[in-house]
Amino acid sequence: MFLECQNINFRYPNGSLDVFHGLSFKMKTPGFHALFGPSGVGKTSLARIIVGDINDYAGVVRSEGMQNLLYSYNLERLPDWSSVGKHLEKITPPSLIDRKNELIASFDMTQTMRNRFSQLSLGQQNRVNLIRYLLQDFHLLIMDESLANVDERTREKIILGIKDMFPDTYFLYISHNVIEVSKFCREILVFRSPQKSPQVVTVQGQDHKLGQTVAKDQLEQTMLEIMHAS
Amino acid sequence: MLHRRIYQFFIIYLLGLLVLFSVKYLLDLSDYVIPGIEDLVQTFRTVFSRYLSDVVDTISVAVIGQVISIFMATIVGVLGRQTTWFGSFIKVAAYNVQAYPIVAIAPIIFILFGDGFLSRLLIAAMICYFPILLSVISIMSEPVHDIEHFYRVTGRMRWQLEVKIRAFENLNKLTTVISGSATLAMAGTIVAEFIAANAGIGYSIRIALYQSDLAKILTALFLIGITLSVYQGLLEIVGYLVKKGWASH
Repeated sequence: MFLECQNINFRYPNGSLDVFHGLSFKMKTPGFHALFGPSGVGKTSLARIIVGDINDYAGVVRSEGMQNLLYSYNLERLPDWSSVGKHLEKITPPSLIDRKNELIASFDMTQTMRNRFSQLSLGQQNRVNLIRYLLQDFHLLIMDESLANVDERTREKIILGIKDMFPDTYFLYISHNVIEVSKFCREILVFRSPQKSPQVVTVQGQDHKLGQTVAKDQLEQTMLEIMHAS
Repeated sequence: MLHRRIYQFFIIYLLGLLVLFSVKYLLDLSDYVIPGIEDLVQTFRTVFSRYLSDVVDTISVAVIGQVISIFMATIVGVLGRQTTWFGSFIKVAAYNVQAYPIVAIAPIIFILFGDGFLSRLLIAAMICYFPILLSVISIMSEPVHDIEHFYRVTGRMRWQLEVKIRAFENLNKLTTVISGSATLAMAGTIVAEFIAANAGIGYSIRIALYQSDLAKILTALFLIGITLSVYQGLLEIVGYLVKKGWASH
């Protein structure tokens, strides 16, 4: 199972500039990976190309051995006609009920299950949205700022929990937080402007897992590599 | 909601009367052109019960016509929401047909169906059908991306869910359109009665017009206005209750 993009060229139909020009990378191992870079460099566009939302690009995207590729983003909403608990019940396959309860608890969302989506804070809304994606059958989940507005401690708990629960699944985490991606991600695709070649550079992250500690100097080294690459 | 509608109507009606009487007294017009207050009160007392029954007759036709048009607009709007050839065809047809004034077609309807209930109902339904249809089509063909995305990518989206999401997200808009279309249904029925029918308040206004009796027309307008205000107020309350009930389900 691997994810590979070869020589991707893409420009939006009414755009005057290329978003991607010869973009290539390969991810060979499952895990928690990141797409990192400033706003507007094409992280979301690449995510949508990978899952098949955007098709009018040149180049090759190969997702060998992956059937279900999902893309989630932080502005999604759940319909407000019933509580978030009921929504989660409806979209959870019977075999994953235990996992649902485990996710609700580890995401600190137990108290909010009787509330409607609009009654939740932005951070809670993003957490509920992420939970429902994690309850689907997928091989790759792209999390486009899916933990925005969530406090740092809870975010850390959630990311470590996801990594523990889904060790053999691909995650692509889109974030602007250099410390976070350096600490938790295995491979970090650092986006540069289309004028630079190569357009993405892969940096190895610390891939911090539950029960482990991260050496401060190594974390700083990764952060420096990312800043240097971008 | 209901009381607000009613007092708003009273304000407008009284302002209208004020303008009318100002014109009468400023230009020194005779009672034959604009009746005096005493005449108006006298006429009101004389024709009130007959006109009230006419207005009830008219609004009954208008309500049935509106219900039919809501039902039809919902079906066509749901079909027209699709981005298929059929959906586009429905949309284009709806936009083009509504450009033709229904009142201009009304004589054909009277020739074909006579001057009874059916013609009034048909004209009322047709007049309020197109605005509702256009709103339903515009609401139903506008995806609510931030909600629908999950159901699409996970293969859970069904047409019923799509319609439910779009209707729920636009419930306020739908309620306003339906409430507003009540005026159109009533206007449609009155126009039909005014042109050729043999019953209803429009028919009574036609007779009053032939008699040049402005007092009767003002009485009819008062009863039409108050009835319509009550009906629209009730529709708003129903819309509010539906939303509240749906949201607390």
